[in-house]
Amino acid sequence: MFAIGNGTDFFRLLSLLFNGALTSLQIFFLTLLFSLPLGLLIALGRMSPQKWINGPLKLFILIMRGTPLILQLIFVYFAPFYMLPESMRFSLPRFTAAIIAFSLNYAAYYAEIYRGGIESIPRGQYEAAAVLGFTKAQTFFRIILPQVIKRILPPISNEVITLVKDSALVQVLGISELFRVAKNESSRIFSTTPLFVAGLFYLFMNWMVTKIFETAEKKLSYYQ
Amino acid sequence: MQILKVENLSKSFDGTEVVTNVSFEITKGEVVAVIGPSGSGKSTLLRCLNLLERIDQGTVVVAGDTMVETSSNGQVRYASEEKLRKIRLHLGMVFQNFNLFPHFSVLQNITEAPLRVAGLSIAEARVIALGLLDKIGLHDKADAYPYQLSGGQSQRVAIARAMAMNPDILFFDEPTSALDPELTGEVLKVIRNLASEHMTMMVVTHEMSFARDVADRIIFMDKGQIIEEGAPHQIFSSPTNERTKTFLKNFYNNSGF
Ligand SMILES: Nc1ncnc2c1ncn2[C@@H]1O[C@H](COP(=O)(O)OP(=O)(O)OP(=O)(O)O)[C@@H](O)[C@H]1O
Ligand SMILES: [Mg+2]
Repeated sequence: MFAIGNGTDFFRLLSLLFNGALTSLQIFFLTLLFSLPLGLLIALGRMSPQKWINGPLKLFILIMRGTPLILQLIFVYFAPFYMLPESMRFSLPRFTAAIIAFSLNYAAYYAEIYRGGIESIPRGQYEAAAVLGFTKAQTFFRIILPQVIKRILPPISNEVITLVKDSALVQVLGISELFRVAKNESSRIFSTTPLFVAGLFYLFMNWMVTKIFETAEKKLSYYQ
Repeated sequence: MQILKVENLSKSFDGTEVVTNVSFEITKGEVVAVIGPSGSGKSTLLRCLNLLERIDQGTVVVAGDTMVETSSNGQVRYASEEKLRKIRLHLGMVFQNFNLFPHFSVLQNITEAPLRVAGLSIAEARVIALGLLDKIGLHDKADAYPYQLSGGQSQRVAIARAMAMNPDILFFDEPTSALDPELTGEVLKVIRNLASEHMTMMVVTHEMSFARDVADRIIFMDKGQIIEEGAPHQIFSSPTNERTKTFLKNFYNNSGF
């Protein structure tokens, strides 16, 4: 299994995997950057009493959570080309398509987490804020959201950990992220070592994620 | 000076009228206690007055500003959002369940509205908050968080939080009902102190001895209506209405008051 010839080969493998990991990390961070705020917007729309707002968003969430992410990646990449009339056809760069699909998919999951968190805040908090004269925006950002964030950190951390591992899916679009690099290297040198080392990379990334969330949870444990 | 004028206020939930044609006035410095059986619409009335519920009919005037009025053809018209925001500054509210903000310290709970709504500076808001904490005897809890407070302490902080906005009238909805009996005293004492400083207050309460001793006037509500209204000694010793008599009799029997 550990058929690695010498130190130079191992160093070469590490730098290959490291490059793949950088791509994975780009997908990871860009997805978080777009999906966390987008998820909040979707959650707010999903909770709107207006049917024409909450209806489509419910359907969106159902589709994003109800179909495989790998299918969504393929769809976002190919749809602009194959589904538009000939004159309007275009194709997205692979990486852009991957970020769009990931952001939409994760935003749907985050939206439901936000919604659960927002709905768990007692009405009395809104009423206390209202009688003190806070505007709706002040109430949401100063009173409600901080409490929501504390409550949703554990489920959000689950999703973030999943995202690290899901980033491997973008290889269906031919993007050379960590897993694809490891797999190719494995078949090239007839060894499972690259895959094993890639596994350690993922583990390390999620160890970091776990640490960050632990710190955040500790920071917010000053109240109950 | 008149702080609150309510005329023919009615409120329904899903077609069921919960407050029916209620009219009364409160003048500056008055303490009015509202009593009545469970479900008689006391909380709903308070919630209508501080804009947590929208009324179906009637007129409410707060410190000379019309909050809502009803035209002769039955059209209910609220003041503009901007005006309502201004009117809201005249009103304070203390809830049964305190509703403190758990993520803010005691001090922040009190300073947040003065800072962000009234636009005071941090220094000004602090001075006000610390003064109020002194008054309620919780100076040493300024940096505590709500989860570290007893129910009685929480309610005193909630009163200070409402007072920090310097309202013209303070509404209380059963401020001691969520408390263990041994903690009601400390909260009632704070309200008593406010009364002695001539704070205008409208207190929904089941504490009859408190109502008798502190209120200038008692309003008795039943089935959404004001049945009887008068000075405490009159209501408690010689109620004129049968329903008031029955309510008070049940009360005496159950509490030995
Ligand atoms: N949001 C609501 N939707 C529907 N019905 C309501 C609502 N709020 C109150 N009610 C009904 O209105 C009636 C009056 O309720 P309210 O809470 O005002 O009574 P109360 O006098 O405060 O009673 P208690 O002494 O138990 O607090 C009750 O029958 C109650 O069920
Ligand atoms: Mg009530």
